[in-house]
Amino acid sequence: MKPKRHLKLQTHYFIMTLPGLLWLFFFSIVPLRGIVMAFENYNPGLGLWKSPFVGLENFKYLFSLGDAKRVIINTIIIAGSKIILNILVPLTFALLLNEVRNLKYKKLVQTAVYLPHFLSWVILASVLLNVFSLDGIVNQIMHLMGKESVIWFSESKYFRQLVIGTDVWKEFGFNAVIYLAALTGIDPTLYEAAAIDGCSRWKQILHITLPGIAGTIILMAVLGLGNALNAGFDQVFNLYNPMVYSTGDILDTWVYRIGLVNLQFSLATTAGLFKSVISFFMIVISYWAAYKFADYKIF
Amino acid sequence: MVRKKTLGSKMFTIFLYALLGLLALTCLYPIWYAFCLSISDKTAANSGLVTIMPVGFSTIAYREIMGDAKFFHSFWVSIQRTVLGTVFTMLVMIMMGYPLAKSKKEFKLRNIIMWLLMFCMVFNAGAIPWYMTMVSYRLIDKIWGLILCGSLPVFNLIIVMNFFRGIPSDLEEAARVDGAGPWRILFQIVVPCSVPVIATMVLFTSVGYWNEFFQGLVLSTSDKHYPLQTYIQQMVVNTQSAANMSPDELKLMSQLSNKSLDAAKVFIAMVPMLVIYPFIQKYFVTGMMVGAVKG
Amino acid sequence: MKKYVQKATALLTAVTMAASLTACGGDAAQAPADTPATDAASNEESATQTDAGTEEASTSSGDTASETTGDPFMKFAEPVEIHIGQQAYPTLKFPDGDTNEDNVYTRYLMDNFNIQVVVDWSAATGNDYTQKVNLCIASNTLPDGMQCGRKEMLAAAKSDLLYDFTELFPQYASPQVRAIMDSGDGSAYEYSMYNGKQVCTVGVDVAASGESMVNVRQDWLDELGLDAPETLDDIEEIARAFKENKPAGDATIPIAGPDKNNTCYTNFLQAGVSSCGFEPVFAAYDAYPGYWVKGDDGQVVYGTNTENSRKAFERLASWYKEGLIDPEMGVRDQADEQINAGNVGMYFCAWWKIGYGITDAYRNDPTANWQSYVVKSEDGKWNTREQCPVASYCIFNKNISEDVAKAGLIINNVWVRDENKLTTEYGANTSIYWYPLRNSMGALDECEVTYDALMQVLNGEKTAEDFNRGTDDAYKLLYNDCVTVTDCVKDYTAGSNELGIENFDVNNTNFPRLYSILAGVKPSALNRPDKSVYSACYSQTESMEAKWANLETAEKEMALRIITGKDDISAFDAFVEKWNNEGGSEITAEVQAQAE
Repeated sequence: MKPKRHLKLQTHYFIMTLPGLLWLFFFSIVPLRGIVMAFENYNPGLGLWKSPFVGLENFKYLFSLGDAKRVIINTIIIAGSKIILNILVPLTFALLLNEVRNLKYKKLVQTAVYLPHFLSWVILASVLLNVFSLDGIVNQIMHLMGKESVIWFSESKYFRQLVIGTDVWKEFGFNAVIYLAALTGIDPTLYEAAAIDGCSRWKQILHITLPGIAGTIILMAVLGLGNALNAGFDQVFNLYNPMVYSTGDILDTWVYRIGLVNLQFSLATTAGLFKSVISFFMIVISYWAAYKFADYKIF
Repeated sequence: MVRKKTLGSKMFTIFLYALLGLLALTCLYPIWYAFCLSISDKTAANSGLVTIMPVGFSTIAYREIMGDAKFFHSFWVSIQRTVLGTVFTMLVMIMMGYPLAKSKKEFKLRNIIMWLLMFCMVFNAGAIPWYMTMVSYRLIDKIWGLILCGSLPVFNLIIVMNFFRGIPSDLEEAARVDGAGPWRILFQIVVPCSVPVIATMVLFTSVGYWNEFFQGLVLSTSDKHYPLQTYIQQMVVNTQSAANMSPDELKLMSQLSNKSLDAAKVFIAMVPMLVIYPFIQKYFVTGMMVGAVKG
Repeated sequence: MKKYVQKATALLTAVTMAASLTACGGDAAQAPADTPATDAASNEESATQTDAGTEEASTSSGDTASETTGDPFMKFAEPVEIHIGQQAYPTLKFPDGDTNEDNVYTRYLMDNFNIQVVVDWSAATGNDYTQKVNLCIASNTLPDGMQCGRKEMLAAAKSDLLYDFTELFPQYASPQVRAIMDSGDGSAYEYSMYNGKQVCTVGVDVAASGESMVNVRQDWLDELGLDAPETLDDIEEIARAFKENKPAGDATIPIAGPDKNNTCYTNFLQAGVSSCGFEPVFAAYDAYPGYWVKGDDGQVVYGTNTENSRKAFERLASWYKEGLIDPEMGVRDQADEQINAGNVGMYFCAWWKIGYGITDAYRNDPTANWQSYVVKSEDGKWNTREQCPVASYCIFNKNISEDVAKAGLIINNVWVRDENKLTTEYGANTSIYWYPLRNSMGALDECEVTYDALMQVLNGEKTAEDFNRGTDDAYKLLYNDCVTVTDCVKDYTAGSNELGIENFDVNNTNFPRLYSILAGVKPSALNRPDKSVYSACYSQTESMEAKWANLETAEKEMALRIITGKDDISAFDAFVEKWNNEGGSEITAEVQAQAE
């Protein structure tokens, strides 16, 4: 009797996952057959299966391109900085916000800083390009401070910083949610005891708050690994221009250009596949690391 | 709790409030700026005179939008896509999240499915095979095409799953003893206990659908079917590549430019999100905490 | 007799095409631009033949057409559906109730030719449209017909996705279309070929679109008592005067630069000149960046990599540094916004921009008297680049029926013959951009011929009726221009040949075109170039397919960075070295082989 019921439950569970699995199959797995394009010289007239097979030629060619190296370096720098800063800035912000005693003010600030997260890069880019233009508000402030105007988005030496900075600005409020959540989990009696002992706010943060949320911080760092090659297509695509390709062109924008603008379908797929493989390894590593260092099972 | 109000502490408080206030202002600025631009005089807007306050006043941009049937049609497509898509995605995620929240012992396929999800999240063959697949399903110009094209949001699913795990198992046990099957348990016990995470995910999912523009562009055969962000992207942001234009197209492009009208569209596109998210905001902390922080 | 002549014409055209192809190395991947001398000669021959055929054919075009001869304006017995992909222009609206499938043009095609236009998809012109075209090619889901660029046409042809028009085109293209194809050196045919087959229909652009001029605010010049510019030194001096005197206040931009959607100069793959680019500055140094220039010794070099280009770059960089060029060049959304707002003193572009391109400038400030001049070198020579005569392409799916292919050709014939009638009588409220599968066709010298005719009418030497030459004339808009010019131009002193903005009614519907001709074409109608430079090649060679995109990106970057002072001129030398190493020398050798 008992084993049979158990089996039935398994079946129910499976049926529950079925809609999701079908969705996954038809819209993620079926299109994956296109990966063969990376190993052939794709000719639309011949189709996916009859185009001439070239083995690893496309990969060899990809790595012989000076541009490929450049975009990989850009991608790693931009994505890496985003991962680090998207932990540090929201954490600092959460700690600061935690010090605010006026609840109304706290709520107000919180509502405002979440906001950019909900706006698409399409919309934010149109605003940011104006804000950082020659007659935009940033240059007006620089002017007041007696500094030379800068055309920010055309300077390759500033472009990465701007991309990283604007991304951190867009997300810091929202990313802080997780730390605020973790902060609520710290036992308030610890603070009371510390206050009685005469600990300053700074010392309380150092000795109570940070250790209390250390697990969350490590976890966020580890989870970030999976994004090591995701530098943000939507953002860069809407902000960049040829003058900043040297520092701003990333893997995803480059793949877009060679594939959908320059019609080098096979090369685009090859570069995409390269990215997928690396990302998959990073995720496996992060899964392992999260388990090992934070004792956290991602799934 | 005893607090000493030293001078340093007061200074710190003032500094803190000011800093946070300033940060909050920078986050509000884009909306304010788009608004200013949209009600400013067209010439002032085009020559970049608008920064923190409107220059001149004109409602022409909004009146023009009122007469633009395509804009409202796109708006309607986006609403449909967002509402249907969110309901559909939430159903799938809840149904899938529940069995996956079980241990491997309780649901044997669990780990296989999880790795499959991770794999699908990372691997994709790019836009071309994806487009060919959508064509073969005849999902071009269909509202379901716009909904299904995005594939399952794995990250959100994991958060839902983790939240479900945090629900005390005694509740389920008690229901099971009362003879409730897995479906009843899911919808009568688990779902009502998961309002925070569901509310948060509803917001995430609807924001995702609302803000998506690229797939909307590729999967629609004409601007009649564009969702709003695609409409805006092609009207406002679309970076024309002169390389692909013939001289007479260039002639035309140079006649079309209207920053205040663009800004008005951008502003209207922001509105639905601005209206929804403050209501759901109160659930964020609980939803995210149990979903992500506690494994 | 009629049949004989038409057949002979068709044959002759085919032979000429074949000959011109073999002349440049038969199995070369692309139809290259080859030795102009022999080709021009043979084409002239075919042009005269065609004209002879034209006369005969048109007089009897009412006859029921048989399959073999072909009536370029035949009405199908049964409606023929043609499915197209269409460029959309989001801000151009239709009159109430009309759509892109049901408007004056599609109704006209249906009523008169039984051609039913079905729009399978449309996308906004520019990136969105290109992306859609590329997806169609990649997934082999071409509609029956669509417009595209040369790169896309070649990619589709290479994958064997395109309909072969080799036989049908000579039969069904109208005499007028063929007359325009034959204008100039007749190379338009070559551009529609791949591996010896005609795989597309092409639009021929007026030559003037490839010649960039300096346009200047004459009213500012007058105010400051300056003479019209002739050389780069003059331009520099004027720019300096604008910078110091600030006629538009602090917002004054002496010389506009390309915006983020344009480049400093177009290259051999692109039609036309860059809007607010710097082609004339380079040409004044006898430099032609972006073009394959064949030297006197027969050696082909890439124009960007020359010593003269280097000098021009240095000159431009010094202008930028001094603040004579728009400091936001390369990043602005739209350079034209600044021109329209009345902030710009000078810019470089071809004839059309002064009227079509910046109409708002005159609406905002009716005294903005833009005038156009050629830019001469130090020794007083006018050097200029000349563009590829073909500016647009229409490609058709390989699998369409012959009737659909005919319909495609007829749609093209109808546009060339009836554009005027359609736009003035029927479609005054519907932009010409909505015409399905529109190839813009203009005889190469249309602009200059029109300028001369208009001046003759204005000076009272001829009347508009003198230019009413019937529907087979290659100058399809000439009569209409001559009729309308007297409405648009007022208070003109006959014989003076001086026209300023004050002589025009800027709200007249024909103002953009007429001002473009009378102000924009004026310099090229009154001067002939001392040196015209054609690119030795206007299409991609084999190794370009893989390598050009990266070289092109590097070049755009280098040009912008040097001019805007982000890098000093040594970056130019570094670029040349990199260019040669990363495939440039290989490509040059291919172009060289093609040119010989």
